[in-house]
Amino acid sequence: MATDHVSMGARLSSAARNTLKSLVSPTSERQREIRRIVSLCLPFTVLLLFSGVFPLAEMFRISFSESRLVTEGFTTESYRTLVADPYYRNIAFNTLWFAAATTVASISVAVPVAHALEKYALPAKSVILTVLSFPNSLPGIVAAFMIIILFGNTGVFTNAVAFISGQSSTDIAFSTGVLGLFFAYIYSMIPRALLLLRGTYSEVNTDAEEAARSLGATPLQTFRYVTLPQIKPGLIGAFILVFRTGLAIFGTVLILKGLLVWTLQIDRELAQGFNIAQASAMATVWFVFVFGFTILMLRYTTAEVSI
Amino acid sequence: MADRFESGSLSARFGRSFVTLVLALTLLFLAFPVVMTFVSSFASDWFGVLPTGFVTVGNWQDVIFGTGVGADVAVGSSLAYSTGLALGGVVINLIVGVPIAYAVARYDFWGQDWVNVFAILPLAPGIILGIAFLRTYPDLSTSGIALVIGYSLLKAPYMVMAVQSSFQSMDLQQIEESARSLGASWPRTFLTVIVPNARTGIIAGSIISWTLAAAEFNFSYIVYSRGTPPLAIFLFNNITNASFLNAAAAVSVFFLLIALVTITLQIIGNRGSVRRV
Repeated sequence: MATDHVSMGARLSSAARNTLKSLVSPTSERQREIRRIVSLCLPFTVLLLFSGVFPLAEMFRISFSESRLVTEGFTTESYRTLVADPYYRNIAFNTLWFAAATTVASISVAVPVAHALEKYALPAKSVILTVLSFPNSLPGIVAAFMIIILFGNTGVFTNAVAFISGQSSTDIAFSTGVLGLFFAYIYSMIPRALLLLRGTYSEVNTDAEEAARSLGATPLQTFRYVTLPQIKPGLIGAFILVFRTGLAIFGTVLILKGLLVWTLQIDRELAQGFNIAQASAMATVWFVFVFGFTILMLRYTTAEVSI
Repeated sequence: MADRFESGSLSARFGRSFVTLVLALTLLFLAFPVVMTFVSSFASDWFGVLPTGFVTVGNWQDVIFGTGVGADVAVGSSLAYSTGLALGGVVINLIVGVPIAYAVARYDFWGQDWVNVFAILPLAPGIILGIAFLRTYPDLSTSGIALVIGYSLLKAPYMVMAVQSSFQSMDLQQIEESARSLGASWPRTFLTVIVPNARTGIIAGSIISWTLAAAEFNFSYIVYSRGTPPLAIFLFNNITNASFLNAAAAVSVFFLLIALVTITLQIIGNRGSVRRV
């Protein structure tokens, strides 16, 4: 048994040495190609390790720290708080249902929009496309400001309704409520969902749709039984992307404050007494959850999910 | 035939109008506040439904020259600072993004799909990465280097995607083999043949990742400690502290930046497609 281990270890180390040797001085064309691939991926890997993996590992270590200003000791206090305290469980629940609801809402809007863009002859299509992709480059704080412009105390919509109904505008304004936050979320989510759905829509087989229509299916039936199965990978891809986006939103909710979500609480841990261990524990939970969710869900789609 | 479709179900009669209505409402929802922000930045009052008191440049003056109270910094210094930081991020993105995009587009290898996933989906979003940076690189945070490194990781996917789309329209294997058979070494082929041919994607990727780095708020907010605020922090200070119309002017500065970038990208894109034909 022991000799087995030794020979196994020896075999592994000699394999590693051989791999390294073939990378440094390759002898076959295949080995040269592997060296090229490795050297092409190397700069990105270095960046990923230095600015991604290493800080995240450090954050993981801090989440167990007993002391606040230096990382020392080991305690699972922060995680126990997250599990036991109903305050945090409530925040987790808020974050998840709100992200799920906004994701479903923005995909339900994005599907008809992608449909219209692909199937209908629209005037000024390039302008429409620019408008639809413009919010992708806006940070969350600007999306929040857009909602204030529409539904805030001096917002256009608020004042228009106040003018018609005669109520006070502060009674109508809902930008700082949950509904306002909902609109702010979908302001940045609809364009994201479209990014993916438009790609999927352009690959839909139109012959099958025309066949279904000429066989007597209504447009809705055609969509339900012919188009929908074909755009399913795009829908799942859009769900992954938009749900991730929704969980990561921070600037928007920092301004509107409609709902206490996970990211806002992370900031509050820092702002109220610099409790970095708790903030790190929350960020770690966030990271593990979203990482696991993405890896798991990517199995169910062939669509290329990218930001 | 046409009759059967018209007289049929509800969806045949109203489906198209419904879909068009959704599109129209979406466009209105996305574009209307942008237009109103820009228009109101030239107004002096906004108490009723529409802003009044046109045309004044007071709000823009406050943003461009600073007011001395509240969000007191002028936009110029923030814009210049963010331009520099984002440019640093772009340089790193070029070094890391172009090679990995080429590796995925040109070669088949074990784990290629996962390499691609990591290259085009950011590992962690701005706020999580910000928390991770706080204690890991405390010395870098104050100098702005932490911001540059963080921006480059957060925005690398945009560079990779733009360059990949350029690579996908090229016959990489043929180009590489032609250059090699004419005697160029592989590094020389990559640097003097492949990279220049992908310049459309490289320029587009640089512009996109630069803009998004300059606009990155979540990461900057956590990591930024003192000194000149980056552009996104400047916007945040204006939205939360300055008067409403001043904030509109500050956000409009940002809109103009994005509009400029969009136009530039379209010019490059057109030129690229013409050349490819």
